[in-house]
Amino acid sequence: MSNFGLLLDGFAVALTTHHILIMVAGVLLGLVVGVLPGLGAPNGVSLLLPLTFTMDPVSAIILLTSMYWGALFGGSTTSILFNIPGEPSSVATTFDGYPMARQGQAVRALTLAFSSAGIGALTGVIVITLLSGWVANFALRFGAAEYFAVYFMAFASFIGMSSGSPFKTLVSMMLGFACSAIGADTISGESRLTFEFDALIGGISFLVAVIGLFGLGELIMTMEENLEFHGVKAKLSLREIFKTVAEVPRYWATVLRSALIGCWMGITPGGPTAASFMSYAIGRRFAKNGNRFGKGEPEGIVAPETADHSAGSCALLPMLALGIPGSATAAVMMGGLMIWGLAPGPMLFTTRPDFVWGLIASMYLGNIIAVILVLATVPMFAYILRAPFRIVGPMITVVCMIGAYTVASHTFDIWLALLFGVAGYVFKKLDYPLAPFVLAMVLGDKAEDAFRQAMLTSNGSASIFWSNGLVGTMMALGIILLFLPLISKLLSKAGIGFRRKALPPQSEVGSV
Amino acid sequence: MEISRRTSEIATSVITALLGAIVCYGALENGITWDDSGPRPGYFPFYVGCLIILGSAVIGGQALLRPAESKPPFLDAERARSVVLFFLPIVAFAAISAWLGLYIGMAIYIFYAMYVPGKLKLATSIAAALAVAVINFVVFEKLFMVPLLKGPVLNYFGIY
Repeated sequence: MSNFGLLLDGFAVALTTHHILIMVAGVLLGLVVGVLPGLGAPNGVSLLLPLTFTMDPVSAIILLTSMYWGALFGGSTTSILFNIPGEPSSVATTFDGYPMARQGQAVRALTLAFSSAGIGALTGVIVITLLSGWVANFALRFGAAEYFAVYFMAFASFIGMSSGSPFKTLVSMMLGFACSAIGADTISGESRLTFEFDALIGGISFLVAVIGLFGLGELIMTMEENLEFHGVKAKLSLREIFKTVAEVPRYWATVLRSALIGCWMGITPGGPTAASFMSYAIGRRFAKNGNRFGKGEPEGIVAPETADHSAGSCALLPMLALGIPGSATAAVMMGGLMIWGLAPGPMLFTTRPDFVWGLIASMYLGNIIAVILVLATVPMFAYILRAPFRIVGPMITVVCMIGAYTVASHTFDIWLALLFGVAGYVFKKLDYPLAPFVLAMVLGDKAEDAFRQAMLTSNGSASIFWSNGLVGTMMALGIILLFLPLISKLLSKAGIGFRRKALPPQSEVGSV
Repeated sequence: MEISRRTSEIATSVITALLGAIVCYGALENGITWDDSGPRPGYFPFYVGCLIILGSAVIGGQALLRPAESKPPFLDAERARSVVLFFLPIVAFAAISAWLGLYIGMAIYIFYAMYVPGKLKLATSIAAALAVAVINFVVFEKLFMVPLLKGPVLNYFGIY
């Protein structure tokens, strides 16, 4: 049977009252989890997992994935309204979403984020529908070298496309790598950079760093500038929503590019966080108003949101088809699959087609439900913006401190978050970009592992990164991205030189 | 008290360079060479530390060579005051939380923030402090079953 026929069967499974109610409940729970920083999607899904043991696997996976969609959307809400990313993958949404909300266009910013996120997610699901069979064969060729090449591309795009000093990007990113290296080494088990401090042996969670750098750092910044939120309509005007939705097709190029980046990063395990950062960086490079990015540019919201959600849905593809989770949340869900007695991997498509295709069909419906529900709950969050910041600020501080503690139930993490808060404040004032730091912290371990494993297979020869067409192409793309500022400078010089040389013959032709 | 942009740039680059040096030192303890099983654990962090020092040196050097001050100062007295007034209570919040638990810490912190800088009425501030503590207790302990730090006082009343 073709994929399309199987999908229709899947809709028959998903389109029951029971399953739709489960989707609504899952999305609502996810929104709560996504809005609270520190209670992220992986955390929320693991908390909900024990409740699903007695459920039928199809209903259970629909509940968990719906919660995931809700968390992804909820994370964007707080990013835009409070500049606190509820999820690491919505960090990039704060760059332009928050400035736009501060200019009194909170509803526009939210609607832009949700509609582009919806498009991104649906693109991702369509990709899953079309590719699920084929991708298994392709991704089976991925070794450590290929994984490293994917990470390398993500990092290189950041240095190559930074708008400020590339050295500040470099320092920020490398500090992130250093923080991710703290704790037990994943390959040898030796403890690194802990300097005999017991609290550091478990490593530093990137969530604590994000809460400090983005949450507390931004709070101090806001307090210093004595800013107050104003002019934000608490009422959600339907007219403004529709006006904004009608605005989205104008950014079709950004949407298409970001969706492609997202799908690629989701299938190859770059994950939604890397995808949204990369899409934002590339979007800034290619957009007409790229220099206005960071000041509330619509495309600066569309680019990371589309990529985030298309990567989030595509991350389920390798989990289902190969048993390799594409994101932290997918890893938790995969644990669930095994508890329910299902073996993730290519065989799942033949043994339980009702499960696989029911899940895929529910992803179409779940995302549509999520867009509607998140829009419906916006007035509640926008209302909070009317309170003066000297009242809201301490409330956000409390949420940040709780968030830092809930990551691992360590009191030490509270102090760590304060430290990161001061660092975030200073870095922000001196124009050090924070995003590369977080990206390096999230992916640092995985990139290093992939690098070392690749080196182990090749006995220390770097030629493994050029050993086949796939990895060679990815590495070459990464290097081009890394030196993009230099290359574009050289190209424009060459272009001018070429024109000068080309001019005389033209004038000669003219004179003849 | 006024801190110029140039001073803060140089100071920050010195601090990041020191952090880079610490990373390099830590990596050396793990061994940065290759052995039979491939690169030792310090191999990767050592070069990360080197890159931090390199980047910091360039940033610090650029700030040193930059001629006159063109950008606004990093921090002036009035702004420094509002930063300190906001940040010190958070440090106190963390210290109280580490000692008496998060719920008592957040109640005291919210009461202070609402009453003193927030300029709310005494009764409103107390109500806000209690509401924040109770709502968080219900959400985290009951709904999500995520226990927060309790501390000796709540333990004394039989809440663990």
